[in-house]
Amino acid sequence: MKLPLSTLAGLMSAPALAIIAMGLAPLAVVVVWSFWAWDPSTYWIKPELSFAGYAGILEAGRWTVILSTFAKAFLTAAICLLIGFPTAYAVHFLASRRLAVVLLALMTIPFLTSYLIRSFSWRLVLGRTGVINTLLQDAGLTSAPIDWLLFSDFAVIVGLVASYLPFATFPLILAMQRLDPVAIAAARDLGAGFWTVQRTLILPLTISGVFAGFLFVFVMTLGSSTEVQMLGGAGASIVSVMINDVMRVANYPLAFAISTVVLAVVFGLVLLGNRAFGLSRLFEDRS
Amino acid sequence: MMSRDEPFPRFLVWTITLIGFAAIYAPPLYLLAVSFSPALQPGLPSPGEITLKWYAALAGERALLAALWQSVIIAIGTAVAATVLSLLAALAYREMQARRGAWFLIVILPMFVPGVIQGLALSTLLTRAGIKASALTVMAGHLLWAMPFAFIVILTSFAVVRNSYLMAASDLGASRWRQFRDITLPLISPGLISAFIFSFLLSLNEFTRAFYLAGRQNTLPVVLFGKMNSGASPTIYAMSGAIFLVSVLCVGVIAIRALSERR
Repeated sequence: MKLPLSTLAGLMSAPALAIIAMGLAPLAVVVVWSFWAWDPSTYWIKPELSFAGYAGILEAGRWTVILSTFAKAFLTAAICLLIGFPTAYAVHFLASRRLAVVLLALMTIPFLTSYLIRSFSWRLVLGRTGVINTLLQDAGLTSAPIDWLLFSDFAVIVGLVASYLPFATFPLILAMQRLDPVAIAAARDLGAGFWTVQRTLILPLTISGVFAGFLFVFVMTLGSSTEVQMLGGAGASIVSVMINDVMRVANYPLAFAISTVVLAVVFGLVLLGNRAFGLSRLFEDRS
Repeated sequence: MMSRDEPFPRFLVWTITLIGFAAIYAPPLYLLAVSFSPALQPGLPSPGEITLKWYAALAGERALLAALWQSVIIAIGTAVAATVLSLLAALAYREMQARRGAWFLIVILPMFVPGVIQGLALSTLLTRAGIKASALTVMAGHLLWAMPFAFIVILTSFAVVRNSYLMAASDLGASRWRQFRDITLPLISPGLISAFIFSFLLSLNEFTRAFYLAGRQNTLPVVLFGKMNSGASPTIYAMSGAIFLVSVLCVGVIAIRALSERR
């Protein structure tokens, strides 16, 4: 029952064309343009090999923004795993069937809601007159509002975790669904407690899910901008916001150079992750 | 699967789970509650003073409504294109043997491309090509953002299409096209509807790409972003709250229906 090759090519052509025309080609062009020289006479670049954009990354402390982006991504991914692992465990092992369905639905919804609105709503919680400061003052724990809750790195990390938590939880749930319940039951019967089962059985057997979850959150955070724009302090930045700032003065070579560096890291990580544990297997139907 | 864990670990696991869900849902729900308060300062309304006046005031916000209309048009266009293209991509995936992993990766990859870079790349290229920014250019940017999700949803819905059904039809003389139209399509139609709604919502709520690609008429998230940063007003809470609620209800209904059928 093999489909003739021409039909397969026919099916693939339209989606492939869209992906190339709107995704891969523009990105490839940006990578090429990042090596072109700025032409002041046209306010555009000209086809002349130049590393000025890349040199610009090393100026004005821009590389520190790149480093702090990695730090933010690492921290966010780690926190998401710390919350996501127990969540996946609760959904798969502790919840009744009906509750598990509701929890899975609640984990799906955030993918499709507005990251902008969700980040913005944290302002009402963390602000000087926000929920947390009001509660703290009503309880008499502080006399004046705490300032570092909002427009700070703390707020950005909180917003990032809330935004990308489902990206960590889903691969973990999928990994736990592949666990053999008999092995866990056997361990229990032989007297292994909760922590022993976690350490010797569940964690080692779901480690691919742990890596996938970490990678997803890390990569999504690398490309995030709204959380910093909504919740970050005056000087706060992250690579995507830095690209925005650079584009405001139409510094194309620099914007393209930063984009190229980020793209190289993102694609590198995703391809590496794919090689290690095959992303398509995560979604393969197991019926 | 229920387990026999000791009480303390169970308590710990549930507490952390609750913290996670609270982090995702508590702030937007609080924003939604605030939008029903008559006060100008954000705060919870007392039960007696719940009001819809900020929602009524939305009717006078011409800029917001024009942006909403623009966003809806773009979202419908994006959803149609993303659903059709993802269906083709999924059909191709089903027919592939060796290279399907690579094909999956190619379709999924745009999800990981940072929105700012995708928006900047596409908008620079379009400007250079002399194409003016419009609803169409935003759709072009949103298409690849929506496709990975639509593709995964359609691919999962293919699980109910057994190969034996198609083989039986083929034995009875049905052509490939007939098999697709009479067997595959009806079986995966719930998946197609979900993919359409998911793509619609993804486009409606997308901000960073639209920021670069929108023409003279901005989309709703772009207008909201501007207003959020220039002194938020209760009407912004109302619009944000309403959009959030609609998104949650749409996905919630689909997700619960799909998940409970699968078990």
